[in-house]
Amino acid sequence: MFTMTSARPTKLASRPSGAAALDEISPWRVLWQKAVPPLLSISSIGLVTAALLALNQTLATSLVPIAYLVPVMFAATRWGVWPAMAASITGMVAADFFFFAPLYSFRVDDPQEAVDLLLFLIVSLVSSNLASRLRKETETLRQRESEMHALYDFSRSLASCFAVADLIAAIRQHFERAFGHAATFFVTTTNGHFEPPEPQFAPPSVKASAAAMNSGEGPLSRTIIDERRRELWLLRAISSETSIHGVIAVNIGLGSELTIERRSRRIEAILDETALTLQRLDIGKAMESARLRLQAQMLRDAFHGTLSHELCTPLAAIQGSASVLETIPAIRADVRIHALVEAISEETAHLDGYISNLLSATRVTAGGLNPRLEWADPRDIVNGAIKRRARRLSAHRIETHFADDLPLLHVDSGLVEEACGQILENAAKYSPSGSTITADVRYEPHRVIVVVSDQGVGITADERQQLGHRSFRSARHQSSIPGTGLGFWIASTFIQANGGTIAVHSRGPGQGTTVSISLPASETSTSELTAFANE
Amino acid sequence: MSKPANVVLLIDDEPKIRRFLRAGFELNGFAVLEAENATEALKIATFSSPDLIILDLSLPDLHGADVLERIRAWSNVPIIILSVVAGEDEKVRLLQAGADDYVVKPFGMAELLARSEAALRRYFKSATENPVVAAGPLSVDLVTRSVSLHSSPVRLTRKEYRLLHVLAMHVGLVVTHDQLLKEIWSGNQRDNIQYLRILVRKLRQKIEADPNQPRLLVTESGVGYRLQNRLDAEPLTARVS
Repeated sequence: MFTMTSARPTKLASRPSGAAALDEISPWRVLWQKAVPPLLSISSIGLVTAALLALNQTLATSLVPIAYLVPVMFAATRWGVWPAMAASITGMVAADFFFFAPLYSFRVDDPQEAVDLLLFLIVSLVSSNLASRLRKETETLRQRESEMHALYDFSRSLASCFAVADLIAAIRQHFERAFGHAATFFVTTTNGHFEPPEPQFAPPSVKASAAAMNSGEGPLSRTIIDERRRELWLLRAISSETSIHGVIAVNIGLGSELTIERRSRRIEAILDETALTLQRLDIGKAMESARLRLQAQMLRDAFHGTLSHELCTPLAAIQGSASVLETIPAIRADVRIHALVEAISEETAHLDGYISNLLSATRVTAGGLNPRLEWADPRDIVNGAIKRRARRLSAHRIETHFADDLPLLHVDSGLVEEACGQILENAAKYSPSGSTITADVRYEPHRVIVVVSDQGVGITADERQQLGHRSFRSARHQSSIPGTGLGFWIASTFIQANGGTIAVHSRGPGQGTTVSISLPASETSTSELTAFANE
Repeated sequence: MSKPANVVLLIDDEPKIRRFLRAGFELNGFAVLEAENATEALKIATFSSPDLIILDLSLPDLHGADVLERIRAWSNVPIIILSVVAGEDEKVRLLQAGADDYVVKPFGMAELLARSEAALRRYFKSATENPVVAAGPLSVDLVTRSVSLHSSPVRLTRKEYRLLHVLAMHVGLVVTHDQLLKEIWSGNQRDNIQYLRILVRKLRQKIEADPNQPRLLVTESGVGYRLQNRLDAEPLTARVS
């Protein structure tokens, strides 16, 4: 699954000179480039000769060696060593012909003059050589600078990448500028949709290799030589630690070893930058998600802190004060006053229940539910749930049945106890005072089932559907029974967090409700454990 | 009141809480000292040597756990922790750091007084030298190792007695799972809480009126067990010498 894209040909015009080598070069252009500089340098000698001839004879003769050096140096710095050498030789010949006796002849009579001419030739050849080498070096430097500049631009555009898609766009753009249409970029896509369509110029062997590299097979770097088309393709996968994002394939032609090396070096430089950016993006992504998690955590903690401090402290003070009053004999003796004190305690306990429900709900929503699993006795859990809600269950008869030899549960007993408490509280809320609520704890293979049944209002099929939703409250009871609609949702979330399931049955409205909580149990039989325990 | 009162130091930054704690303790015959921050608390604990410390975990200048640690560095005075939302892990940590017990807000005065009494009893036990621990109808003689329920002897296995012995030594106070495992299996099965659960179940069958609804040997969810020193939640007065 990959798409292939390449630079559009129209982009070629804006390509910097440093990348010219990769284009197909017409023979006329070669001839033009090779023939023109020597011709120009020779004609510049002609120009100097004409200028010298305009002066008087003695002045011209004294200026000859210096004057001819000018076009030589010019040719050397402008066109290189060969035009400069042509200029040197032409210059020497012209000097001999026009300015040294006998004039208008190539003969040299005076040995002194012969030495002068020879010296001129040597000096001009040496200096033209030096000047042309200087020129070459300057050119190399300039080219390297432009490469560096392009790479710098590239890394700057990488710095502004915030997604892998940006990165791929930046790489594509850079390759267009640096290598023209010879670079191809294969991008993995998730949906198999190709856009823009595959260009035809990449040889099948390259496409096949790129496909293999995209799917993570074989090495992440390959070189393919296409003998028939005289092309050398360099393939490199762009990958982060987690996945391969695409494959770059560049046709670097079949130039000299030096050219190939230079181009591979440039590609390596680009890939290094890319790898760093990918790494940064990966780290960035991880940091972003960590930051979000931390924010959620902080929000939750702040909420918990505020709730617990601003609500629980006054509540604790009221509860505590009422409990102190309850210990005073004078108050206990007066039934009316004692009832008032009891009312304070009861209402505070009620409020405390609401607050702890809210706290539980925020814990669930903010993802702060980390069950701390340990072995627990199901009896302790059910008894704990009943004891903790003793006040709110006081109007009902609570019957508990425990099967003999119940296995242990591997659960977070705090969470399961809270869930059972919520179910018991619901049973009490939706059944008449004085009726019986039973908690039956049974054993099935690998499971312990806590069945809570009441003789209350029951539930309809429609209500059963919506029961698991947060804040769901049936329209039948909204005005008559107070509640937040959080209880069952909290219970089912806590049970699920402990690897359990919760199911609700009712034969219909007014027929009572049965809630079954199924929890994972110990595989070791209690008799085995007893043997070990008494060892 | 002819006998000298026990002195309790209340460390809590909330005046509302201190107010009712003071009333509750004074009504039950304690002399009360108060501190609203850790610095003050440590000063009073050093110079006034109280018999009991009630320590709230959230203090403005130092965490309650640090105060506990500093006091424990030089004193064996009973310390009961007050906390608003303490998880099981934190409770266990505090108990291991030397707290005698904990009470979670909101709580009733009767509950706190019962814990206080148990902690004081344990603190002063060496002075009273009574080897018989009574818990409702149950009595445990720590020296002769005899256990009786409603005055009739109970036969326990070695491990069952060991468990009851450790709980009786801390009667009224919570004992952590870790502590029980260490005392009973002395290092062999220390991390196997399953054995402890089963052992507790067996012991309950012998000492509880209804093993399915234990009232003597009660579970402190996620923390440990407690041998209740009185069965009803009736308000009580501290009667510790």
